[in-house]
Amino acid sequence: MLLQTNSALKREIIPYFSPMLQGLLEVQGEEFLARVEEIRLRCGQPLLVKLGDEDWTIIPAGQASRSLQLGYRTSEEDIYRCIASISDNSLYAFEEDIRRGFITIPGGHRVGLAGSVITERDEVKNIKYFSGICFRVARQIPGAAAGILKEICDAGNGELVNTLIISPPRCGKTTMLRDLARQISSGRGRAAQNVVLVDERSELAGCFRGIPQLDVGPQTDILDACPKATGMMMAIRSLSPQVIICDEIGRQEDYAAVRECINAGVSVICSVHAGSDDDLRRRPFIRDLLGSGAFKIGVVLSRSKGPGTIREIIRWDGI
Amino acid sequence: MIGLKVAGVGMVIAGFGGWGLAGARRLERRVDELRDLRMALGFLEKEVTAMYTPLSLALERTAEFCDMPVAGLFKESAAALQQKHGVTIREAWNQGLDTITRYSDLLQADTKVLANAAGQLGMSNVNEQKKLFTLIQEELKLQEEKARERVKSSRQLWSYGGFIMGIVVVILLL
Repeated sequence: MLLQTNSALKREIIPYFSPMLQGLLEVQGEEFLARVEEIRLRCGQPLLVKLGDEDWTIIPAGQASRSLQLGYRTSEEDIYRCIASISDNSLYAFEEDIRRGFITIPGGHRVGLAGSVITERDEVKNIKYFSGICFRVARQIPGAAAGILKEICDAGNGELVNTLIISPPRCGKTTMLRDLARQISSGRGRAAQNVVLVDERSELAGCFRGIPQLDVGPQTDILDACPKATGMMMAIRSLSPQVIICDEIGRQEDYAAVRECINAGVSVICSVHAGSDDDLRRRPFIRDLLGSGAFKIGVVLSRSKGPGTIREIIRWDGI
Repeated sequence: MIGLKVAGVGMVIAGFGGWGLAGARRLERRVDELRDLRMALGFLEKEVTAMYTPLSLALERTAEFCDMPVAGLFKESAAALQQKHGVTIREAWNQGLDTITRYSDLLQADTKVLANAAGQLGMSNVNEQKKLFTLIQEELKLQEEKARERVKSSRQLWSYGGFIMGIVVVILLL
């Protein structure tokens, strides 16, 4: 999936790096930059660029290489400059984001942070002495979820059925959910519906200062950085959604909230980390939820033909 | 000929007198600038700790709040930060300090107080930032008090000293 254009990466991500790293990244070819999924900086370690499943580095002379030990070693100053740029030299303004472990930059790209974690009463209070940064390139693929959308429309009345997207990490479930939100709320070939995205980790809409940086459709409301269970309940009470979409349910309260939404007549589409239906049923809460008939369809994703490959459609509605 | 001599004497005395008065005015301006600087930092502190405004924008707003030459420090720093490209607050702040040093009557001891803050500005949580701003403002207040004392003790010396020196030079020349 060659989706991130060279210019977008150069415009939206590379300016945040230190001048040395900018120099190394800017000279890379368009094809290389278009495949970048992650860029990782670790203090004293080689610069790591992830292209799909491949790990690459860039040697100090500027060539990309698969031999990681030859790569340019990220210095403490590179990390400091990068943090300074990402936070606009204003860590105080990003305290909440830092507590959650990441900062979202314009363009919806997520920057994960590693360093010394300061805790207070078992809660993360801050991170300081940053030692690692991970840029995850946000991708949007218009039309990626067309195959799923066809499957999750009720054959009789055309309404959306409650759906679970099942996938291991890095198989494209966030991209699918984002495109589902876009397509459902823009009503391609069907009536547009009110969608609420409960985006706890700011990944679905990639909000920067509350404004979505990625296209999630014209009739989509976003509850950014909001805990999923709380967000689902808030949405029902105040935003009159027809569809609620959220990423990675997993806690007991998430399942209770899903049940509430379904009982309120709202369609729910959410994702869950699992490799298959069997994996899923090993978890007691979700097993109960599936047992109660809350979800009608499960879509299992894999990376066999690239992220977002539909491996299996499971029908729990017996059709 | 006498008329020319009188004019020359007048010009020498006026020249030295003007130099002395300018010196006295510099002392007074330093006090004003230190006070303006302290107030501007108070404004910046509110932007940072109460409004959570990102530093480049907070510096720009502070520059709009105050007058030159103090505004130069904030304007220059904001402009440097807005370029991004890995510019740190230390580098941006030092650029601002170069500007204020060039166009103000502040002494090295005054700008040193500001320079000490460069590395910590913006790069910690709100509580740490509050402590930092309190510290800088207190140190600037001390500098301001010292500057006021200096105005009291030296203003007359500069004001009259220039004219007296002019007269002495005239006497020596005659």
